[in-house]
Amino acid sequence: MSGAAKPQALVDHPAALLAATGVTKRFGGFDVLDDVSFEVGAGRLVGIVGTNGAGKSTLFAVVSGQLDADAGNVTFAGTDITRLAPQRRARLGLGRTFQVPREFGHLTVRDNFLVAARCEYGETLRSVFGGWPRVRREQKALRERASEWIEFLGLTRVAGELAGSLSGGQKKLLELGRMLMTEPQCILLDEPFAGVNPVLVDEISQRIRDLNATRGIAFVVIEHHLTALKALVQHLYVMDRGRVIADGDPMSVLAQPRVLEAYMGGVI
Amino acid sequence: MTAYLVAVGIVALIYMLLTIGLNLQYGYTGLINFGVVAFFAIGAYTSALLTLHGWWLVPAFVVATILGALVAYPIGLLSLRLSDEYLAVVTLGFSEVVRIVIQQEEWLTKGVQGLPGIRRMFAFMGVGGYADVAILGVLVACNMAAIGLMLHLVRSPYGRLIQAIRDDEIAVEAMGKDPRRLKVQVFMLGAGIAGLAGAFYAHFITYLSPDQFLPLVTFYVWIAMIIGGTGRTTGAVAGSLLLLVFLEGSRFARDFVPGVSEVQMASVRLALVGLALILFTLYRPQGMMGSRK
Amino acid sequence: MTITLVDVVNLLINGSIDGLLIALPTLALTLVMGIARFPNAATGDYMTVSAYAGIGVQALGGASILLAGLGAIAAGAAISVLFYLWVFRALRGRAPVASLVASIGVAFFARSMLTLFAGHDQHTFSIPLVRAWNFGGIRVLPTDLYVAGVALLVMLLLFALLHLTPIGRQMRAIADNPDLARACGIRSGRVLLTLWATVGALCALGGMMFGIKAVVSPELGWELLIPAFAAMIVGGIGSPIGAVAGAVLLGIASELSVPFVGPSYKIAVAFVLLLLVLLLRPRGLFGKAIAAR
Repeated sequence: MSGAAKPQALVDHPAALLAATGVTKRFGGFDVLDDVSFEVGAGRLVGIVGTNGAGKSTLFAVVSGQLDADAGNVTFAGTDITRLAPQRRARLGLGRTFQVPREFGHLTVRDNFLVAARCEYGETLRSVFGGWPRVRREQKALRERASEWIEFLGLTRVAGELAGSLSGGQKKLLELGRMLMTEPQCILLDEPFAGVNPVLVDEISQRIRDLNATRGIAFVVIEHHLTALKALVQHLYVMDRGRVIADGDPMSVLAQPRVLEAYMGGVI
Repeated sequence: MTAYLVAVGIVALIYMLLTIGLNLQYGYTGLINFGVVAFFAIGAYTSALLTLHGWWLVPAFVVATILGALVAYPIGLLSLRLSDEYLAVVTLGFSEVVRIVIQQEEWLTKGVQGLPGIRRMFAFMGVGGYADVAILGVLVACNMAAIGLMLHLVRSPYGRLIQAIRDDEIAVEAMGKDPRRLKVQVFMLGAGIAGLAGAFYAHFITYLSPDQFLPLVTFYVWIAMIIGGTGRTTGAVAGSLLLLVFLEGSRFARDFVPGVSEVQMASVRLALVGLALILFTLYRPQGMMGSRK
Repeated sequence: MTITLVDVVNLLINGSIDGLLIALPTLALTLVMGIARFPNAATGDYMTVSAYAGIGVQALGGASILLAGLGAIAAGAAISVLFYLWVFRALRGRAPVASLVASIGVAFFARSMLTLFAGHDQHTFSIPLVRAWNFGGIRVLPTDLYVAGVALLVMLLLFALLHLTPIGRQMRAIADNPDLARACGIRSGRVLLTLWATVGALCALGGMMFGIKAVVSPELGWELLIPAFAAMIVGGIGSPIGAVAGAVLLGIASELSVPFVGPSYKIAVAFVLLLLVLLLRPRGLFGKAIAAR
């Protein structure tokens, strides 16, 4: 069984915010992704699980634009983004975090937040030489917004530190915060709990739930930490060797024999 | 004695401009430019030739700066397509091609024979003495302006973004920003500064020839930036001063070590630059900064 | 200016011979690129130092060119392995740029040591003077045929090494997929020593052949760096066949350009071809890895 049957999410919410259809990606004769389809409705929480090498991160890379698909397409907010450059997709409201955090190590935490926000005038070369009052005004508004998010994510204490000196969990929160500064409609989270201590896992989960509830941001989460993920998402896709082998609500999906078989050794 | 120090100071300040420009490109933005000397040469020859055709100094300096920036535009575009090590080799090749063109197009540049009789700055003040001090003064002012610009730029949103580009371009794209425009701009700005430095050089030395623009000059500037501390403008200042101490010091060292000719000293200098590059890469990688790849 | 068929044939012959000779440092570059994954800017100076070693052996040991060749190979392999052990081995986990910068340091250092102890003079190998053969205007220098023949022989030996010996297979495995190679138990230590010794030998023979064909000067190798790099890119990184094909293609193209732009612009021609390939077909002719983003 591959993407032949319509994913459950499409049946429930026909007008999906983010949809990948029939995505295929080949690396040197080897199908990393084989006819993969998934849907995310606006404001929904979706999870993607699978063994190592199942193609999850590759799927994210195709959806966010770092890789080009060999077949299939991706739509977001009604636009076909299959051939769009990564920065254009991000501007449409599709954000992502990375498996290994990509913080701007030589900038402070606060600067990491500030640099993420859209900054029409301040980031032109012209603004270096003139129009400084306008830059100051722009920055003031951004600083306020950044402070809110920094506090929301519990990073106020380290706001002035260089991002490179943060712990792994803090960097994950930083990446999330950076994404939030761009005011996305949907965020792809690549293993947000990896290498993070259990207390922080709960905290991150809670933040995701808050953001989803209060701001209606949709989340797609890749994770190995099945316990935390089960409790977080409303819909779960299971991938194995480049294909979607099951999707549906987390409890029932994870009980399917085919999933258990593929996932032998997983922490359920 | 003071006349000598003033002259050394002038050369130090010219190198300081070059280092500030390179620090903007590599230290702040992570663009690898192994062709610094190309823009230096273009600025020098442009200003020299214009003034030899009757132009006044200030407009010639301006054109030299602008031309340096303009030539950097295609190279900047190239940098968008090439990964680091290829950009490095391409910029190096570019600087050698520029040198060959200068060598070959004798109708314009007089080739290896060299271009003599370039008008000196403040020539109306006579040679040496007060004229040199005036030149020093102008260079100090120029450097202060450049340093001020850099310090302001680093703290600005523009500067924040270029440093983010240095740290992680993919993350920058994931935020919805396009690094390409800024990378080209930074390349051009740094090259323009190098062109300006070239103009100062031409009108101080008053004689130009292609072998003043060997790749070694590029790596002098790199060493200055690395020793001073990559990614900090104050580092560029300190590094260029240290570089001149080294260059001039090596000339004095000959007085203490008998039997060493100037040619041999040149080899020693080359050896020390090579050694510095090796040792810094091996033992002080943070002096090299560098982005996540 | 009329170009006759005879001229074209002469240019083709010269270009092919040049190409075959350039193929040697190009192979050295592409092997390092494929296995150690960085452009080795010291390739040229390995050639120069080895060529001087050959001159030295000939001066000391009597006129045997064969002995000089062996001396050159020994010298080339020695410094190549030496700098690997001292510099490049320690840089293995780092970004390619680090090794590139270090290799420039190595190039400068090697050249400076050479000029410090052997001076800046040009030298020629003492070989029996033979008149050029002339077939109705088509000129062929027996010396040229000789060096081309040696180059071809070296290439055949290299291909034999890469494809017929176990260590060659291991080298190709590491070039293809370093992680997989390691997982298969291929111990890189021995393979890398073999690699660098081979690289040194290739550079030595390249330096010798160029020295025999023309003169041995301190700039011999450095001037060939850009053409060799261009040939590697044109042919496709990491592909030895590509290196040879690219080198011959480049040699012919450079030679054919001489009636139009003169002999001194050959490096510029190589550079332009390099840019074209990088922009239009980064993979080159036979390559798998991509230089561009």
